[in-house]
Parts: sequence; structure tokens; C-alpha cells
Amino acid sequence: MKSGILKYLVAGAVIFLAAGSDRAQTPPAGHATDFTSESYFEPPHEQQVKMRLSGAEASPLPGGLLEVKQLRVETFNTSGKSEAVVRAPLCTYAPLDGVASSAGHLELQTGDGKLHVEGDGFLWRQNESVLTISNHVVTTIAADIFSEKKSLP
Amino acid sequence: MRKIIFLLLAVAGGMVVAQTNVPPQNVPPHQPTVISSDSADFDLGTNRAIYRGHVLVVDPKVKMQCELLVVDLPTKGEHLQHVSAETNVVIDFMDEKGQPYHVTAALAVYAYGVVGSVTNETVTFTGKPRVESAESTILSEPLIWDRAANKFHFYNEQMYFKQNISGGGGTNGIPKLY
Repeated sequence: MKSGILKYLVAGAVIFLAAGSDRAQTPPAGHATDFTSESYFEPPHEQQVKMRLSGAEASPLPGGLLEVKQLRVETFNTSGKSEAVVRAPLCTYAPLDGVASSAGHLELQTGDGKLHVEGDGFLWRQNESVLTISNHVVTTIAADIFSEKKSLP
Repeated sequence: MRKIIFLLLAVAGGMVVAQTNVPPQNVPPHQPTVISSDSADFDLGTNRAIYRGHVLVVDPKVKMQCELLVVDLPTKGEHLQHVSAETNVVIDFMDEKGQPYHVTAALAVYAYGVVGSVTNETVTFTGKPRVESAESTILSEPLIWDRAANKFHFYNEQMYFKQNISGGGGTNGIPKLY
């Protein structure tokens, strides 16, 4: 929490980064249903799940794209505590370009529930590490996030 | 009047700096802050959040509108250093007595920095800053709140006092002049 709000705002974006990294496992190349994919931290926390990606359905699209339905991504810290959960009913992921996008809804919530972001239409650019939410962005921040900042001079 | 401005900027500045001030006692606790906008960018590389288009920030103390809200968030353990609200900045709030205030400016910028042993922490309002209350309107260009020193700096300020045109303020119904 001390690292600031952006940590939580972008935590969901990290999942796409992780999904595209060498260390992560990507969903199956073919059609899959009710799949789950996990990636792990590097040593000495190699036994801890870093990111869990699941979906109701994953289908390959032309151009090497992957369409994921009912995407759910959860990130964890090294102690196993949930940091953020991202949900998107539909997402298109381009592994080679490191781009994930959707015209649909995106919802992100931190593990402690203190921050919630949602909007319609998103684009994650992995190379630039930028998450754009295109429409109707609503960020709800719990009051006690700010109370933690009161210790600032 | 200075007290009014102090209260105004204390609240307005508190908004810009992500509410580092203690909320008034009459405000129910645990009310969330909601930021809505047309779109938003969250940049992991620069630790910057940018809200664009019809930006509306609502919390228990204050409501702020602008067209662009840029927040440079600190890395772990560091102090928030820069927040800017740009274009048609409108801030509405009530003081502890329920008196409404309305502030407009083109730009409001919060900046924090430490040079040697000196801490600089300011909120600068530019672009025809205007403060309206039920009693008066104050213009100052720029309007700077030195949070480190807890002082306010007015430049070329103009103060206008309003008449009570409702006539209800006095027992004889005559508009009251301040």
C-alpha cells in the first residue's frame, strides 16, 4: 500500500506483462475451455504463485491472436497474498506484440478491496507498460488509503 | 476573509494532494473517493496516472472537475511530488459551517520537493483563479498556497463583496451590504 495508488491501478496490467514474459505460462495454443495458467516467482520464492490466469474459453484467432472469454487474472505477492484481480468478459491477446485489448468491460480490484477500477474498452501495451481504459472510467478509492498517507510530512 | 481563503485552499489543496489533510469531524468516515473520467492511462514505466475528459473527483469533503488530471505517484516510501488538474478546473466544497465555496482556475498544480534541509510544498492556481462564496469573490493571479509554511500568497488580488439581494438577511428586508 505504501508504494501508492498507481501500484494498484496498474497491478492488473502486470498480469498481461506476466502473461507475455518468458517466465510465464501462456494459455494453450489451441482451443481450450475452463483453463487455468499459473506463473511463479523466481528463486527464492519459486514455490509461490505470482499470477494465475483463467478463462472460460480460449480460442486462437488469425494472425496469432488469442481470444479469451471470461478472463480472470489474479496476482499475488511473495507471501501468497492476493494483490489484484482483473476481470474481463472478453479479451484479445497478441502474444507477439504484447498487446491485449477489448472493446468490452474491464474490472480491476486490489486484493484488499480498497481500490476498484472499471471501464469499457481497454488496451494494454506491454512494451510501453501502459494500460489505457477508453471509456467510462470509474476509480473508487477507499478512504483509508488516504489515511495511510497522513504520515507523509 | 483571509480565514475564508485559508479554509478554501486548505480543502482545495487537500484535494489536489490526494487528501493529506484530516477531514472535518462532521464528515462521516469511510466514505470512498470516486474518480470518473472519459478515459485514463496508467503508465507503469513513469508511475503516472492520467485521467482525461470530464474528470470528476468526488469525496466527502470536496468535488472537483477538470478535463485532465495527471498524478505522478511516488515509488515505495517516497512522497507524492506532483499532481496537476488542468482545463476548466472547478472545485466545490463546504466549510465546517456548511458554507459553500466555488473555485475555478485553468490549472492547479501541487508540487513537493526537498532541497537540502528545505521542504517546498505548494499548490499553485493559475489561469484566472477565482474564489466565490456567498459573500464575496476573490481573484488572484496566481494564487499560491505554500503548504510547507502554511501561508498563502496573493498576486494582484481583487476582492468583490456581494449584496444580499434576497433581502432576507435583515429584519427590515433591506439588502445587506458587506
